[in-house]
Amino acid sequence: MLDKVYSSSSTRHCRLLILVSLALLSMGLISGCASSIVVKPDIPSPLVKRLPLNTNLVYSDTFKNYLYVENEKKRGSMKSIDFTDAQAAMFEQVFGSLTNLVDSADPSKNLSIEPEILDFQYSAPSETKLKQYEIWIKYRLKLRDGNNARIADWTIKGYGKTPTSMLTSAPSAFNAATNIALRDVGAQLSIRFPQQTVVKTLLAGGAPPTIPEPEPEPEEQLQVAANTDDSEAAAAFLDQLPDIDDAETDDSISAPDAFPEVTDESSEGEEDLIETDYEDNDET
Amino acid sequence: MRPSVKLIFVSTLVIVLSACTTINVDHVRIKQTAALKEGDAMVVLGRHQTAEIQTEASLVSCIGSRLARGTGDVRIIPEAEFVDSFYPWFEARTAPLHPKKLRKVLDQPAVAEKIENLNIRYFVWVEGSTERTNSAGSMTCSIGPGGGGCFGFGSWEDTSNYETTIWDLKTFSEVGRVSTEAVGTSYMPAFVIPIPLLAQVEGDACQGMGNQLVRFFTNDSSGLKTSP
Repeated sequence: MLDKVYSSSSTRHCRLLILVSLALLSMGLISGCASSIVVKPDIPSPLVKRLPLNTNLVYSDTFKNYLYVENEKKRGSMKSIDFTDAQAAMFEQVFGSLTNLVDSADPSKNLSIEPEILDFQYSAPSETKLKQYEIWIKYRLKLRDGNNARIADWTIKGYGKTPTSMLTSAPSAFNAATNIALRDVGAQLSIRFPQQTVVKTLLAGGAPPTIPEPEPEPEEQLQVAANTDDSEAAAAFLDQLPDIDDAETDDSISAPDAFPEVTDESSEGEEDLIETDYEDNDET
Repeated sequence: MRPSVKLIFVSTLVIVLSACTTINVDHVRIKQTAALKEGDAMVVLGRHQTAEIQTEASLVSCIGSRLARGTGDVRIIPEAEFVDSFYPWFEARTAPLHPKKLRKVLDQPAVAEKIENLNIRYFVWVEGSTERTNSAGSMTCSIGPGGGGCFGFGSWEDTSNYETTIWDLKTFSEVGRVSTEAVGTSYMPAFVIPIPLLAQVEGDACQGMGNQLVRFFTNDSSGLKTSP
């Protein structure tokens, strides 16, 4: 009798195991399918001192409607990713903490900031074998004074990655990695913004020198850059990433004195606060 | 064979075959005593400053829990809560790498005020990761309308390498350092059902490191190296 009960229990246990296996397999198949991802913003409010600047954030139609669409059939981890709300939330969170945000028509406005996406790249564990979802975003911020004259361009890069784990789906991992990349951009902006020469000049009541407007980039060229599916290009992008101070030498920087070197170890200035150069890490 | 005998046999087999981990913990005390008092707080943070350095959040949380249990009235602030509330000063790219840099971060009045309000006395930085260093064997699984199963044998070796650095916020200096290396091999025999015999390498590294940190903060210096 006891053996019979035990046998019956074992059979039920086996069936249960098979059901669980099937469920896990189904989940794996579902999570393996490419999906369209909409990133939900998750950026904390920066703990920074508010500067007496009235700033207007300007979003172009390209920025507001940016959608990364994966056209490469080989890359099956996502169909598209929409992070427009998340990035707008980040810029508003950061510049809303650093300055007073005002409307474009506000006469007290003394600074306009227009972010532009220069590049977006990603990698999934199936592509890199790193067991990580990675996101790279590159922005250019166009800074204009109260008279709408261009005073500086600021190129800034963000990087985020999420380790894979059981029951983490690709959409949630990409969502997390994108938020980490946006946090990275927001952190650099929050710390470096008050140290910029143009910002210091504006705070001192001066008028920063203007720079010429660049030639508009063809739309197709930007799209090609955004859809780059080249692991070497991604690696090159990552190589560039740690050295965020290369903004100094970036072609897009039109104001050579706008963003001074900030990682001078010997300097006791405020700029020394920033741990932006990854090579600096070797000192630990 | 009676079920109870089977159970004893399986239990014995599991105990005999259970995976084990070898841990080596080194501890250097730079300052002789830790001066924690009731109401003080500590924060345990993982290093994430490069693509290669990604200390697992689970390990940081585990060390925090071990410290919370071992140090009594000292409050351990969870990593995510701390990093969010001090954004952007302790992000992967912006976190200070030396105590003197932390002092400069604390030159920010808002940051200093918040640190003071939270009574944070020590920072514990954890750097390192657990990685798969070896694997062998193979396993085949199949499933069909009549059932399914797996056959084969697999084994793998995980290695943990972590270093913990303790910073004192009163003196803005490093006061201690704990290094841990843990190696463990896991086995997975499968005869219809896979039986995982897992080595808890990360968990064991956490226990080893956590115990040493508790000894550091409770001023238990038995068997510890002291920096000259």
